[in-house]
Amino acid sequence: MKKDEAQSLDRRAFLCKSGFGLGAAGAVAAMVAREAGATETELATGGKGYTETAHVRKYYELARF
Amino acid sequence: MATGGSLEEIAEEDALRVHWYSLLGKLLGAPPDQATLDQLRRLSGDQSEIGEAIAALAAAAAKSDPKGLDREYFDLFIGVGHGELVPYGSYYLTGFLHEKPLANLRQDMRRHGIARADDVSEPEDHIASVCEMMAGLISGAFGAPSDLAAQREFFDRHVGCWAPRFFEDLEAARSAAFYMPVGTIGRLFMAIELQGFEMAA
Repeated sequence: MKKDEAQSLDRRAFLCKSGFGLGAAGAVAAMVAREAGATETELATGGKGYTETAHVRKYYELARF
Repeated sequence: MATGGSLEEIAEEDALRVHWYSLLGKLLGAPPDQATLDQLRRLSGDQSEIGEAIAALAAAAAKSDPKGLDREYFDLFIGVGHGELVPYGSYYLTGFLHEKPLANLRQDMRRHGIARADDVSEPEDHIASVCEMMAGLISGAFGAPSDLAAQREFFDRHVGCWAPRFFEDLEAARSAAFYMPVGTIGRLFMAIELQGFEMAA
């Protein structure tokens, strides 16, 4: 195995087996997924709800035609 | 929230990081509503220091209500004049708002295709904003996902140099009840992030 592959596996194991990966990870993922889903719906319907928490967005190049 | 990228396309450990950055961004960007509190109270952690902080957050969420949290958030981060804490990178790095670190951040945001949301008036170096930016860089919400080297560069320049101190201050803040475990989680997450970056170096 190449050195960087081994490093990448070590890092994966380290992060996923930390307290942030175990136990709570699924519940946090579900929370965030729900949020993202709501955002898409609100975007689609022109709703403003998501802007209460989103401080940043993708930069759109306005000068591009 | 800056999670628009497809999380299926990034590695498991990176999706995990996106989720925690997003959660921190959400909780620090505005006081949580009842729906968020109901979800937070269901979180559970293992016996580790991180697990205990997560369990403490769940317990704090169970004891909190949105009205009280509006007050706590105001006292901590807004205040009359300023809150107990000033949650901006420029302030932590220079003692003043709107200094060079903010200009540097704006430059890097532009480079990464990140803009401030249209209805946001506060400076971009707010702790919630930089958490959202990290989430988006990892997930690819602003374009293609950034590689680890680019993530680390952004982290070192705009997050790692002050956010750990901010989270320590939050943990110790007089006005922090619900936000005390948020501070602990943030502090521990910053340490894990740094260690994770070191492993890839």
